[in-house]
Amino acid sequence: MTGLGYRREMADWDMSAIDADFFEVAPENWIHRDLTPLHRLIESGRPVHLHGVALNLGGTAPLNRVFLQAVRHLIDDLGASCYSDHLAASGDAHQLYDLFPTPFTHAEARRIADRVCEAQDLLGRQIAIENTTWYTNIGEMPECEFIAHILSWADCQLLLDINNLAVNHKNHHTACPAEFIKHLDLARISYLHVAGHEFDPRFGLYLDTHSQPVESSTRLLAQQLRAQHGIPILLEWDNDLPDPSTLNRELACLKTSTPM
Amino acid sequence: MSEDFYAYVRGRSDALPAGYTEHGMRAYRHLVFIGASQMVEAHFPAIRQELGEDGWRALIAAFIRQSAWDSPCYGDLIDEFRSFIARESA
Repeated sequence: MTGLGYRREMADWDMSAIDADFFEVAPENWIHRDLTPLHRLIESGRPVHLHGVALNLGGTAPLNRVFLQAVRHLIDDLGASCYSDHLAASGDAHQLYDLFPTPFTHAEARRIADRVCEAQDLLGRQIAIENTTWYTNIGEMPECEFIAHILSWADCQLLLDINNLAVNHKNHHTACPAEFIKHLDLARISYLHVAGHEFDPRFGLYLDTHSQPVESSTRLLAQQLRAQHGIPILLEWDNDLPDPSTLNRELACLKTSTPM
Repeated sequence: MSEDFYAYVRGRSDALPAGYTEHGMRAYRHLVFIGASQMVEAHFPAIRQELGEDGWRALIAAFIRQSAWDSPCYGDLIDEFRSFIARESA
């Protein structure tokens, strides 16, 4: 199974020509909106997963119950089987519309696990959390251990973003993606994200831009996980969106059943 | 997460929060700036042309510095921007 992040720019595209088996959208962009484009995708036999950006699981503001209620309605409207958000803060007591790191400490892992549990209780279902790119962070344990604690304590799933692992590895010389996943319970992975990134000389850091083709090492690891464990792969391409044929070529590259 | 972290990201302070790198903190400040800049420009493209690049950067930086945004929906940033302009012009 190979999916694609659905963007509003695709509203005018002939989506039957896009060779994806499933799609993903940010619920924040579809709450109280006309869902016709999404229902069309679902009617074509391709499910739509929800991948949020603003739940603020790592933040300190109380979880937004009105928002979660709206997400719950959207999940029901779309018959969505997966809802995820990031293992990150969206701001402090307020939103800043980005994803900020939470310190890799036991106390933070416990606090965030409690927030994941609260979100799952409010939604009446299990959710997935996504590992994020971080550009600087503090803490006492490696990220893989931090994530493993939260998955176990909150009994939630993991949306494993291999590109984010690759960006963090390049920026901080932490465990490479293949090493990192050895510390995870693969049975908890809902699906995989792959994307491209860019080096930004202004900061001396690779930034998670979702504006480039997928790196071959990221693609190979994703294909291995799919071949060995049946875990689906989803391609994220959010900025500088290419034309449909380029996207189809990228999807075809991901679809090859034997890693190249 | 320390208050210092978000004070730096909002541009209220240039003091680095303890333990975080300057490169990383500048990247976060930049990403928040880009997020606000892109959304405001998409709705008010004429403002950027009228102000020029320096004026535009100062306007968006001031918008972020005073921010206390609450909506989970990024698109609602435009309502916040309108309120900010109304407050600034009062």
